[in-house]
Amino acid sequence: MDGKKKQRLEDVCSLSRREILKGLAAAGALASIPAGLFKAEAWERTRYQSGLKTFRNACPRNCYDTCSIVTYVKDGAIEFVEGAKESTFTDGALCVKGFSYPRRVYSPDRIKYPMIQDKRGSGNWRRISWDEALDIISDKILEMKQKDGSLLGMALDKYSGNFGITHYGVEGMFSSLGYTTRFVGTPCWPAGIDAQNFDMGNMWCNDPEDMVKAKYIIVWGGNPAWNSVHTMKFIYEAQARGAKLVVIDPILTQTAAKADTYIRVKTGQDGALALGMAKHIVEKELYDKEFVTKYAKGFKEFKAYLDKHVTVKWAAAETGVSEKIIRQIADEYAKADPATIWIGYGMQRHTNGGASVRSIDALAALTGNIGKEGGGARYGHLSTWGFNYNAMVQKQPEGSVGYTGKDKIKSEFDQTAGETQSYSDRTININKIAESILTTDEPPIRLLWVACKNPFAQDFDRNKMKKAFAKLEMVVTVDQFFNETVQNSDIVLPCTTLFEENTVNVSYWHYWMSLNEKAIENQYEAKSDLEIAALLSAKMNAKVAGSCTFPQITDTKVWMEKEFNDGIYKYFGIKSWEELRNGPKKAILTSTASWSDKKFGTPSGKYEFMSDLAKEYGHKALPEYKERRKPYGKFRILTPHTQFGLHSQFNNIDYMEDFNKGPLVYMNPTAAKSKGIKDGDTVKVSNKTGAVTLKVNLTENIAPDVLLMYEAWFKGKDFNVQELVDDTSSDMGTFKTGAPGVAIHDQFGDIVKA
Amino acid sequence: MKKQLAFMVNSKKCIGCYSCAMACKNQYHQEPGVAWRNLQPLEAKDYPHRDRAFFSLSCNHCEKPVCVQVCPVGAHVKREKDGIVVHSSDKCIYCRQCIESCSYHAPKDNEVLQRAEKCSMCFERIDAGLMPACVQGCPAKALTLVELSAPEAQKGVQYPKGFGKFTQLNPSTRFVEAKAPQLVLAAKDN
Repeated sequence: MDGKKKQRLEDVCSLSRREILKGLAAAGALASIPAGLFKAEAWERTRYQSGLKTFRNACPRNCYDTCSIVTYVKDGAIEFVEGAKESTFTDGALCVKGFSYPRRVYSPDRIKYPMIQDKRGSGNWRRISWDEALDIISDKILEMKQKDGSLLGMALDKYSGNFGITHYGVEGMFSSLGYTTRFVGTPCWPAGIDAQNFDMGNMWCNDPEDMVKAKYIIVWGGNPAWNSVHTMKFIYEAQARGAKLVVIDPILTQTAAKADTYIRVKTGQDGALALGMAKHIVEKELYDKEFVTKYAKGFKEFKAYLDKHVTVKWAAAETGVSEKIIRQIADEYAKADPATIWIGYGMQRHTNGGASVRSIDALAALTGNIGKEGGGARYGHLSTWGFNYNAMVQKQPEGSVGYTGKDKIKSEFDQTAGETQSYSDRTININKIAESILTTDEPPIRLLWVACKNPFAQDFDRNKMKKAFAKLEMVVTVDQFFNETVQNSDIVLPCTTLFEENTVNVSYWHYWMSLNEKAIENQYEAKSDLEIAALLSAKMNAKVAGSCTFPQITDTKVWMEKEFNDGIYKYFGIKSWEELRNGPKKAILTSTASWSDKKFGTPSGKYEFMSDLAKEYGHKALPEYKERRKPYGKFRILTPHTQFGLHSQFNNIDYMEDFNKGPLVYMNPTAAKSKGIKDGDTVKVSNKTGAVTLKVNLTENIAPDVLLMYEAWFKGKDFNVQELVDDTSSDMGTFKTGAPGVAIHDQFGDIVKA
Repeated sequence: MKKQLAFMVNSKKCIGCYSCAMACKNQYHQEPGVAWRNLQPLEAKDYPHRDRAFFSLSCNHCEKPVCVQVCPVGAHVKREKDGIVVHSSDKCIYCRQCIESCSYHAPKDNEVLQRAEKCSMCFERIDAGLMPACVQGCPAKALTLVELSAPEAQKGVQYPKGFGKFTQLNPSTRFVEAKAPQLVLAAKDN
């Protein structure tokens, strides 16, 4: 490099662009600069900076991994985030979604103020003050109370948008107003929960970190390489120690690509495959005789069922997997010690999903892998969720009138003991929201409050949902972005991100607990769910004294502190929550295996191959084969999770668009050829529920009669997989979650070139 | 041999999760549309299953970096002590020569701020005893940092299938190639 030339150029460019912009800002001249430039200046970085202030955060998304986050803050703004190294599960890393958080917090698309829409769906939004917004809402609540004599016309639609424990304050807010209508159950995992409860008396998985001890791993209908990225390192470690990884899935997923053997099973035929394997194990006497006689109930009956009704040949025909392979994996699985099965949530989203999970559980029981470190039939657990649910448990105002109908049902996360009351909330299956809004009467649902949920993106039969919303008198949505549910609301209230509040988080998979600290001030006029509840309470009481019991505490830290108890402290080996400021804590486990003492939570105290409870709930007592839903279209339509989003969250962020441009439907090239469809063509996928138009990607990762698209909400696109998913129930879920799940993956349809 | 730090990309472990690419954006706040690191899905000729094997790529911190050669203002500098090719975008005059010359397309075009930008291997993090943001951020431990003369680096290959072979640059990145699973396929779903 010519030193002279370099010198000259540096003279010319003596002020960097950044310095020029700073100068302009100081001179007040920035107002005349295009907005894009100003934003870039505020956002740009080329250097890593050390010495920043750090805060503890926890990702509250509905995800296995529930990451412990460290947030680096400078001058009150988030500079960057990273995974906490103190957690051996998070181990310093986040996923693509977690790393997009700073951009999400400062997204130009965030909803900044309370707003009211002149006509739903018109897009004519006007900014209003918090006071005005709460005035309108409280007037409506009081009007309903006057008209109906109760608040049963007021319904809450909330699920898993934020799993911070204090977010159960939204339910608390509803209780504090009176007896209301609640959507209960879960669209996620209820069939599997019931199955494991019938078999073992609880859903309780091993510590995922103990998967390193497994000698044989079957990932069945789950895709951790996308949906539990942090667990992959434990699977790899097991593989490095000699374990074989088998992935069973209708899709050659990213996890399947990491397997030693990938088995493409016919969708919804997992039960037949498991029973075929069980048959081989019993036939060859490879089962654990001590376990099935000492710790299990109904082995004899199960064996008799297998003897009479199951052959490996039959299983091969039902599953599309050859007899030889079924025998081979059954043999390998039974002989490996310990061997583990990870049961994904995808495989139970079927009309026979619960029955299939029971059949898989039976394999683990047959081989004595339950209660064993490195073994197990892993599904999930809630054993670290023993908080006070103080924010959730609020008293109805005196004199409240409620529902007098039959049984109350509650969330799988609700660990409070039910009180006996004459009145209760009116409960409706969360998976039938559209149908219920249309048909519920006396009183009808007049006001819908949506929080931590995006029903238009996640709930089934979008076209029915449109009709249902049209019937509602008022819709209030608490959210961060103008998604489709917000578009169909009257009032939107902006809520804070995890970095703007205090709470505490645990996982339904691993055994860590993380503190979530308020790292930055509330952005714009955003408020947390708890602040909103406290403000609504103040407004209600100003209008009618005693009309709302919600404490007027707006400091989320006060609420967070109230969630801890001695049981939690003891389980995690801490004296105070403040210790969590030094990093996440893992529960002190006597064994990494669940059920290590072989004392099960079933009525018999044993593993129940034969469950009277299952029978009571209308199922077979034994884990028998249950036929899958009959196809109602030429192609099966699968709509599982993408790696770029957590349901409808994250795909709309511009940073995510850099890596995930838009929706695609995946199709097998053989099928495409017969339809004259080429890679990249625009196609229309339709069925009895609705239709979507999008680009096609040809891939042999799926069978010729399967279409695949990932559920997501993209900014500015009307793509929505719920156009194609009806609200047909899965078989189980009523026992533990109050309502059955949804057969999300039992959908069918056709595809044509658009 | 001079010390050369290098990225080791283990495609056998890589799950295509894009954490590395987003970790980089999270650290340096790249403009939307600009990604210093990105994933390259392997084409059908190099891996049998579409979008199921990837190379995580940014700057290869070459032995003979063309960016250093063509930059008129010395914005690209190869560090003596560890071979990291550091780019200082505040020196950049947006002549675009590095963007056009690099066969690996490591320098990115930031049209908004009108400058070239690229991965500098988080050299300030390395100097502070930390791993690059992408390496620390890889949940599968598929992206690591190696010293090229170390034994672990010898396990990697320099020019795997699907990665450009530009020997005159002598890129430092090393790769472990992806494996495909044994397949057992139900012929159809119904």
